[in-house]
Amino acid sequence: MMKGFFKAKPKTPTELVRHTRDLLIFADRSAAPDIKDAKRDEKMVELSKLIRDLKHILYGDSDSKPVSETCAQLTQEFFREDTLRLLIICLPKLNFETRKHATQIVANLQGQRLQSRLIACEYLEKNIDLMDILIAGYENNDLALHYGAMLRECIRHQSVAKYILDSDHMKKFFEFIQLPNFDIASDAAATFKELLTRHKSTVAEFLSKNDDWFFADYNSKLLVSTNYITRRQAVKLLGDILLDRSNSSVMIRYVSSRDNLRILMNLLRESSKSIQIEAFHVFKLFAANQNKPQDIVGILVANRTKLVRLIADINPEREDEQFDSDKTQVIREIAALELNQ
Amino acid sequence: MAYEEREDDHPRKAISINQHYPLDSNCYKILDEIGKGVSAIVYKAICIPMESSVVAIKAIDLEKSKADFENVRREAKIMALLYHPNILRAHCSFTVNTSLWVVMPFMSGGSLQSIIASSYPDGLPEPCIAAVLKEILCALSYLHDQGHLHRDIKAGNILIDSNGTVKLADFGVSASVYESSLSYGWSGSSSAMSRMFTDVTGTPYWMAPEVIHSHTGYGFKADIWSFGITALELAHGRPPLSHLPPSKSLMMKITKKFRFSDHYDKTKASKNKRFSKSFKDMVGLCLDHEPSKRPTPEKLLKHSFFKNCKGPDFLIKNVLQGVPAVEQRFKRAQIHRLKSKSSDEDDEGDDSSTGEIVKHRRISGWNFNEEGFELDPVFPADDAVAKQVVIQEKGNEENVEGCDAGRGSGGGAAPSVLDSMLFLRESLDDQRQRVGQVIALLGGDEWGEMRREEQLMQEIVNLKMEVENQKKKRLELEMELELMKQLQLSNE
Repeated sequence: MMKGFFKAKPKTPTELVRHTRDLLIFADRSAAPDIKDAKRDEKMVELSKLIRDLKHILYGDSDSKPVSETCAQLTQEFFREDTLRLLIICLPKLNFETRKHATQIVANLQGQRLQSRLIACEYLEKNIDLMDILIAGYENNDLALHYGAMLRECIRHQSVAKYILDSDHMKKFFEFIQLPNFDIASDAAATFKELLTRHKSTVAEFLSKNDDWFFADYNSKLLVSTNYITRRQAVKLLGDILLDRSNSSVMIRYVSSRDNLRILMNLLRESSKSIQIEAFHVFKLFAANQNKPQDIVGILVANRTKLVRLIADINPEREDEQFDSDKTQVIREIAALELNQ
Repeated sequence: MAYEEREDDHPRKAISINQHYPLDSNCYKILDEIGKGVSAIVYKAICIPMESSVVAIKAIDLEKSKADFENVRREAKIMALLYHPNILRAHCSFTVNTSLWVVMPFMSGGSLQSIIASSYPDGLPEPCIAAVLKEILCALSYLHDQGHLHRDIKAGNILIDSNGTVKLADFGVSASVYESSLSYGWSGSSSAMSRMFTDVTGTPYWMAPEVIHSHTGYGFKADIWSFGITALELAHGRPPLSHLPPSKSLMMKITKKFRFSDHYDKTKASKNKRFSKSFKDMVGLCLDHEPSKRPTPEKLLKHSFFKNCKGPDFLIKNVLQGVPAVEQRFKRAQIHRLKSKSSDEDDEGDDSSTGEIVKHRRISGWNFNEEGFELDPVFPADDAVAKQVVIQEKGNEENVEGCDAGRGSGGGAAPSVLDSMLFLRESLDDQRQRVGQVIALLGGDEWGEMRREEQLMQEIVNLKMEVENQKKKRLELEMELELMKQLQLSNE
């Protein structure tokens, strides 16, 4: 019935992208009431189809592999003008299935190279405000998972991750990962983890510049959160961050603070075994620090009996030699402290 | 473009998919337990602010689930992003203390597996099978088009509602061809749709040969194999080989090269069972050894077996009528299990003996015998250096009625081996590492003449002694500390 309409179907990837772009511009403005609904619907159906076609060019389908030359043409046209921005902005106007295709297109484009250059990265550096839109998606139930998936692909570019780390958005993540909706909270947590572990040098720089507010917030909002998942994920991530060699100076500072020690000792006492085990991996750094400040030594000595008992009782479900030897080491270390005093 | 205008013909209505169920456990009132798995319990409940509508709540104990929640997160995400009348969606999910609650529609008929177990021990009539499977094909067609493999298709994961609606459930072990990028890096050389997976996942009786031989990799067609086994399951009342006790003795017998000429212990009823040619043909197509020769879900939908297929009303009259309620079936099954557990205890192939590791030789293929409507395993020849697969026996752990409850809800005879396989993989890696360490350690010449086994034995003895020593030391230290503490107290 709509055959006539589809007659002028574009063929080349460049044309497909252009056509998509025109329809996205239409969709962007289509809130206007003077356009007849039937006509709008037709265009939206066409747009959905085009987006689906673009996805199949990039990913291939059951019959065909993606052709790198075709992908390159598509990518070039996509970034030549603002199609990526339009696609992101118009996402709320697309139907449920098309949103998923759009998300996959955005994800795929991040890895496309033109003459070995990551063209998406260059584009995003010039259009970095798109990250603000994607991050704000976590506040919208219908968009969060789509924008979240796009965001995680974008932060594979170091410069993009750096922009977010240096922005105020980082503070918002402390809220996002505690949203009551598990799908969204866990998506935000995955992004948060990626931001703080992926690009080592950028992360180290961020932490050393921001360790005052960052770890204060980390302690007060995440490690003592009333939400079990938040605590468990946070203490695990903390261990990952502090045990990373590139963050060693941050780690030394972290384990020299008695406030931090107090929080970790409380986590060691949790009834959750998983939290106890993860907390131990952080706690052992306090004990292993060869230049412990006096107040840290004081706390460890004052609590040594309890600590030794507590630590001796933490046993991973499966035998773990490394864990056992860490335990012995920590206990030895705490015992030795007393001898030195 | 393989997809054409299918979507355009049925434009999805503007989405108000999430009906915004409350994210607060106080809004729900739990009525009954309807399913239980290793780390999850499924409840029938009502959602008070939603006019007390009935829901199923799957409560996953996160403290019992593996080190990170990557799988839990993925499942929640998949269930939120799939939208199809034949796929069980989650209304919402949120955490309650150390549990994750996944709120889902309540499918009052429960799983086809439990319906068969309670009311159709010799299987369903063909028109019912066709009506159920057609819906599942629609779900699979959508799922594969979305780039997802279900990886655990079986009657236990097919749910039916009182209105005859059939839905595919449990995406706990599903995989997506698109979700590779973060772990695999960017590469666009081959089609996402032809991506191969290698992890051994699913429930043994239903697993495709290429899934078991994971070195070759598998794709969407693995689901079609399981679909074929599910068809046999619905027809006979259980999957092939399942009259044998689960993994342990089954695998022992396979090792001993038992030849199963007959995969269903022939009760009178099943002996007399006759199946139509089109059914046999359809199942035969699904059980082709060569994955690429198995039909796609779209192709299967056009098969003559699904012509003139009946609708939901037919299922209400012919399947659901007279079947006890989900919660009653669950209770009965539990009582039954307790009974059989106590009487089984000294049986040789006892399900409940956990923790035993049994080595078995892999099955190199299957022969589907269309005439007898049976499936025969083929074993590698004696001299073949068979790569050994180790399956750890687990207790017969799952029994699910109203809804899916965690990985590989085996329901009755089928044990889920996913967990044990994951565990074994880890422990194998661990062992490999240790062996590597030992070899490195023994690089010196003084050990040169010893055989590797002896070296290992020696190393084990040494390690044990060291552990003992450490334990002693620890005890001494603890006691010393205790003493000092007391001394300090008395000084103060």
